[in-house]
Amino acid sequence: MKILVTDDSRVMRQIVIRTLRQAGYDDHDIVEAVDGRDAFEKVGSEKPDLVLSDWNMPEMTGIECLEALRASGSQVAFGFVTSEGSPEMREKAANAGALFLIAKPFNEDTFKDALDGVIA
Amino acid sequence: MTLQEAPPITALLDPATVQSIADEIWPTLVGDGEAFVPVPVAPPAEVVSAWVTISGPWNGAVVLTCAPATAEALAESVLMTRPPTVVDDEDVADALGELANVLGGNIKSVLPGPSSLGLPQIGSAPTTGRLDDVCRVNGQWRGQSLTITVQGATEALHPSGTEVPQ
Repeated sequence: MKILVTDDSRVMRQIVIRTLRQAGYDDHDIVEAVDGRDAFEKVGSEKPDLVLSDWNMPEMTGIECLEALRASGSQVAFGFVTSEGSPEMREKAANAGALFLIAKPFNEDTFKDALDGVIA
Repeated sequence: MTLQEAPPITALLDPATVQSIADEIWPTLVGDGEAFVPVPVAPPAEVVSAWVTISGPWNGAVVLTCAPATAEALAESVLMTRPPTVVDDEDVADALGELANVLGGNIKSVLPGPSSLGLPQIGSAPTTGRLDDVCRVNGQWRGQSLTITVQGATEALHPSGTEVPQ
């Protein structure tokens, strides 16, 4: 399985990748994107099975990326990892087709709860 | 669009709430067993700040301030680097900015909405305005001064990305 980790913070991408490993998802290919636009392009070129994305990013936000992907016909599995987890944002994410929203701060248990069933 | 007069931050948030948010963030983001301790120590001579703006019914910023050496140690802890690996300036700014971002996101969630969060910024902290529109926790991490300030916007502070230089 290939997972595309999207965040404009390199530090946060490292933490997400580390937490994936700690949660036991350590035998998957990881690719990275630096913002929503990069993620949109890499869904086309890298063909990931799952996108984990920050919400608030320059160039293109995570929700704009998800909406652009669905408008283009992509049904790639998509989940948010973001510093905000308000009910409004969770609803907006779900309406746009996201499978889950993980709010920062998170740990490996948070990842397991969200990803079990999504990652085989 | 008309601007509504929002209550000052002291009517919306108290230091105990800020501390409880920091209590969740430090062990998960900074590292196991790490804590932001709300006991002030002498402020450093030189400081660096990272902040995110909140724009909504309440407008202002969540600012994290510490000495440059403390920011470097925070980045090393967040990234779990071990000697001889060293963090560069970009990593330090990134890590401090992400800490401010996660603090800001969680503080935003307890303030009146809807509101939006700006992208992290690094540098000299924005100036503070009205005294009753500042909620500050002076504390420490590993014995070094660290301050979390939730401060209302002054004229000099605008949400990022909304100004176009003339």
